[in-house]
Amino acid sequence: MSTKTARLQEERYVGGLKWSVWKRMFSFLSPYKRFMVGLVLVALLQAGLEAAFPLVTRGIIDHAVQNRIHAHLLPWILMYALLSIMLCAGTWAFIRLAAVISTNVSHDIRRAGFRKLQELPFSYYDRRSVGWLITRLTSDCDRLSRFIAWSGMDFIWGVAMLLGIGAVMLYLNWRLALIVMTIIPPMAWLSLIFQKRILATSRKVRRINSNITASYSESIMGVRTTKTLVREEENLREFSSLTNDMFTSSVRNALLQSMYFPIVVSLGSVGTGLVLWRGGVEVMSALPSSMSIGTLLAFISYSGAFIGPIRELAMLLAESQNAQAAAERITGLLEITPEIKDSPEVIEAVERNTARGLPAGVAIDGREDKIETIEFRNVSFAYKQGKEVLKDFNLTVRSGQSIALVGPTGGGKTTIVNLLCRFYEPSSGQVLINGVDYRKRPLQWLQSNIGVVLQTPHLFDDTIYENIRYGNLQADDRQVEWAAKLVNAHDFIMNLENGYDTRIGEGGNKLSTGQKQLVCLARAVLADPQIFIMDEATSSVDTETEQLIQQGLMNVLKGRISFIIAHRLSTIKSADQILIIENGKIVERGTHAELIRLKGEYYDLYINQFSQERQRRIFAECFPQEQCPEP
Amino acid sequence: MYAGAIAAMVLSAITMFLPPLIARTAIDYVIVGKQLNAPGFIRGFIQWAGGRDLLVHNLWIASLTIVAISAISGVFAYLKGRWASIASETIARRLRNRLYDHLQHLPCSYHDKVDTGDLVQRCSSDVDTIRTFLASRVVEIGRGGIMLAVALPIMLAMNAWMAFLATMLLGPIIFFSIIFFVRIKNVFKQMRQAEGSMTATLQENLTGIRVVRAFARQDFECEKFAVKNALYRDRWRRLMHIMSWFWSLSSLLCMMQVGIVLLAGGYYVSRAEMSVGTFSAFFMFVNMYLWPLRRVGRIMADLGRSVVSISRVNDILDAKREDHEDGPAIIPHMTTPIRGQIVFENVSFSYDGHREVLRDVSFHVEPGQTLAILGPSGSGKTTLIYLLLRLYDYQKGSIRLDGKELRLLDRKFIRSQIGVVLQDPFLYSKSIRDNIKLGRSTATEKEMIKAASTAHVHAAIEDFDSGYDTIVGERGVTLSGGQRQRVALARAILKDPPILILDDALSNVDTRTENLILNALKRESPSNKGQRTTLVIAHRLSTLMAADKIIVLDAGRIVQSGTHETLLNQPGLYRRLWNVQSSFDEQLGCYAEQSDRTSDNEEYPDEY
Repeated sequence: MSTKTARLQEERYVGGLKWSVWKRMFSFLSPYKRFMVGLVLVALLQAGLEAAFPLVTRGIIDHAVQNRIHAHLLPWILMYALLSIMLCAGTWAFIRLAAVISTNVSHDIRRAGFRKLQELPFSYYDRRSVGWLITRLTSDCDRLSRFIAWSGMDFIWGVAMLLGIGAVMLYLNWRLALIVMTIIPPMAWLSLIFQKRILATSRKVRRINSNITASYSESIMGVRTTKTLVREEENLREFSSLTNDMFTSSVRNALLQSMYFPIVVSLGSVGTGLVLWRGGVEVMSALPSSMSIGTLLAFISYSGAFIGPIRELAMLLAESQNAQAAAERITGLLEITPEIKDSPEVIEAVERNTARGLPAGVAIDGREDKIETIEFRNVSFAYKQGKEVLKDFNLTVRSGQSIALVGPTGGGKTTIVNLLCRFYEPSSGQVLINGVDYRKRPLQWLQSNIGVVLQTPHLFDDTIYENIRYGNLQADDRQVEWAAKLVNAHDFIMNLENGYDTRIGEGGNKLSTGQKQLVCLARAVLADPQIFIMDEATSSVDTETEQLIQQGLMNVLKGRISFIIAHRLSTIKSADQILIIENGKIVERGTHAELIRLKGEYYDLYINQFSQERQRRIFAECFPQEQCPEP
Repeated sequence: MYAGAIAAMVLSAITMFLPPLIARTAIDYVIVGKQLNAPGFIRGFIQWAGGRDLLVHNLWIASLTIVAISAISGVFAYLKGRWASIASETIARRLRNRLYDHLQHLPCSYHDKVDTGDLVQRCSSDVDTIRTFLASRVVEIGRGGIMLAVALPIMLAMNAWMAFLATMLLGPIIFFSIIFFVRIKNVFKQMRQAEGSMTATLQENLTGIRVVRAFARQDFECEKFAVKNALYRDRWRRLMHIMSWFWSLSSLLCMMQVGIVLLAGGYYVSRAEMSVGTFSAFFMFVNMYLWPLRRVGRIMADLGRSVVSISRVNDILDAKREDHEDGPAIIPHMTTPIRGQIVFENVSFSYDGHREVLRDVSFHVEPGQTLAILGPSGSGKTTLIYLLLRLYDYQKGSIRLDGKELRLLDRKFIRSQIGVVLQDPFLYSKSIRDNIKLGRSTATEKEMIKAASTAHVHAAIEDFDSGYDTIVGERGVTLSGGQRQRVALARAILKDPPILILDDALSNVDTRTENLILNALKRESPSNKGQRTTLVIAHRLSTLMAADKIIVLDAGRIVQSGTHETLLNQPGLYRRLWNVQSSFDEQLGCYAEQSDRTSDNEEYPDEY
């Protein structure tokens, strides 16, 4: 949706450091304090060690030059070996600690995010695509935890390293040190500018890349259309403009990178040059206080050692923008409070009653468990302010009744169901259960008493057995089978290669839509809900399965309150009450016979829509089961 | 371009080694005061310029030389990066365009067989793997090799024994690195698998969130996710832990190598067998070539991946395009529009070579006529259309368009003469305007609106917030089935073809609107030539009745054919449909007279 993209853009990073966001993120670090302390210590140690290395080199040289033949290099070499081993051990510990922290933080954020997603209202899902949410919990989490653990440590290391080198140089020769340090500000400034640009271009490259991928998938999915419209050349032309953009941006990105390094290295060599010149003059001055050759060499190594930490720090600063954007999106998710939740009174009632133990027939909040009546009283609802999809809706249903909701798409049928399940709450008016506003009953109680079968049946990537058992996790094999038999699913399941242990491929691809509906029905039966809601599939299933579903459905409906968004003639006809819903209002209500006599909307609908259904049946009768597959 | 990149790389490597040499000369010759150990011309130049004295008093000259040379080296490095990136990006762009073009020209039979996701992945991530390898890894290998190749002779010239010591551990370091990255491949794969499975669980949960809520299974789902989440965390951490061994051990090896240089250098310097300057040059060299070599293993692993990617991409490019598929000579360049006569003669066709989807089908349609095709799903109606469009090639019999054998006509020419609307039409993620104009890009705004009006979708489009500029498809507004069908119809109408095919194209449009559309279509004949030939696949009697000729297909065979009248006088599907329709009205009449009795259990009380 265009509004969706607009909102996503809105959610993009908008300048400035947001402390509250980071505070929330750093709270995820608190369980790992010990590791953090270790990590900081190791980072400081690393910086110290790295700064000390040139000193050893200096020692060896000076020692060799001064003592000549009598030089004892062994202690120096041992010192070098010791430092090396410590440094490597430090590297080892550093990576391990950072790994522990980053993987755990990422894991914890993901867990919290997932938990949150289970609680959020559907209105949240309506506004965001699944892909968007997945990205939040995968790449954003990873990026953020990497940033916190690694970049944070790189920061400490970089700063410590800079300070360490600076201190050592100042100690060795403060005049020369100050001269060398003049290269730091321009280097830092250039690094920051370049890293920011590099990051921006690589983001652009990624964006174009995802467009290219989308183009490929479009061209593959629409290949027949492309061929029939003879669009091959034009499509390629449009695509090449995309690859041209890609070319330009990637090359720009590469150019920035290949420009950055030489510039920084050249700046570093300015440092080396300065050292050689001023240091050389000092060495040659032959004063007693003059500098040794070893010191000069040490200075030369130090002058190049700035590059690493400065680059790291610059990258960190550039990356911090991205990381903050990721952090904002995640905190945005974590800090939403669900709009629909139990009121304090309800929570209190549930606690009081569950603690006391529940007698039979009493719900967790101490009220009656059996649902006798459901009443919609003057209910209005709008998903978006000002656009009412349901207006002043009134309906009373008694135990055992079935209601067929009929009408055009967008008329409000699904909204009625959503309100009944309390996925949304009425904007005005009330929904009453046994005469009590359902906002005064626990959400969990209501929803576990409702069984829903959706138009596009959703099954999990697991065995059929597990999918049915989803309705009631306590059910055993016998009960699962009983449910399957009740809805006529048992036979087709037994005909599958592995019976109940057949795995359903992703999205349930191995089963036909009709079969999937049967499995969903079995799942709903096992849950044994008091209220049953079904959104009938519009797509035609083969007649045999359709009859199986029909019979299965009848078995399910017995003794329950049911709401069916109905498309099939037989279902509609057998309903206790048919509601024709249009523009958020009931236009007609009654039984099939009553409505036909009325010769109104239902009558027209019946002629237009259901005559087709009959024609389909004739087809099926004339051509029984001898069908060739279309590709 | 690559040659330029290589040349620049060599030059930048050579010039990179110069600053340490200059520093060495400056230290040994100028500061310490030793004999100058340099090629004759340099010595001559320095003598001519003023000898050591000049440099002693103006040490800045040496410094400036260092800066200048590293700047020059930087320029070369930049050129290297520039040319390497232009070269690799050019290759990538060419590859992407070629793949795209190729995909569009592959026959439908190819697309039926392959998985879309896999194809997309080959085109995007495999191409990217190749590109990255070309852009950075090749350069890295080259750089490492050249650095060593440049450093080695210099070092040998300075001190052969020392040069040997300074390269002693290179073999082990490279070996270690390669072994390591071969070993780690599996751990990497496991990590990716865990990530994939976690994402799959997440996706499943989010798409099925309504089911989760309906059964109040939040806790169950959280637990399920927690397992995957923890597995991913553990695999990831394991990978990092293994990496920690690699980085620390390889660092240790490298530092040992540096240590050897320090020890040997110190020893030689103390015996005065080597100058301090040479020593420091060695020290700098080692640090230059050593550290990049650790990455050889990584590069080798990438090389392996790129080879796999190249072969995966080649799989696609090796598939035959439909225009090269088979060989009968094509009638060269037809430019005049056809009149629209279609003849099928004993046509048989099978997708897989075993089961015939069409058997011995024969019929003919004269220009300007309307042919209606009726039959249950799977009877071969759509296949018939595909054959006519040469999306597939018929195996037996003959199809003729204006008397010319279809197989001898250019596919693109045929398709340009036929407008087709499929039952589940595909719209591109562009604006509605662009989608309709795909039919004829030169059409004016007025013509486009006229086509949309004929297809009865103009009003619906105007109702959208952005009208014709509304973006449809994955990244835009989702149109209803009926709206999509009508937009596709407008697209076909705008194309204004001599032959129009509607493959159950108005199934999601209500009967009233369908009749309006069909009447409008009839009134509006093609602009330049006589009448339009129309093929309609439909189930509605009102649509069928209006046709000049009706054929009934079943299981790939024509079981009935004729006009409305002749079919009505034969027993068969058509007559039964007709009878149902008329008895329907009577049945409704019954209801009206019925008393309060509900119709309940009887599902279809009026059947025969």
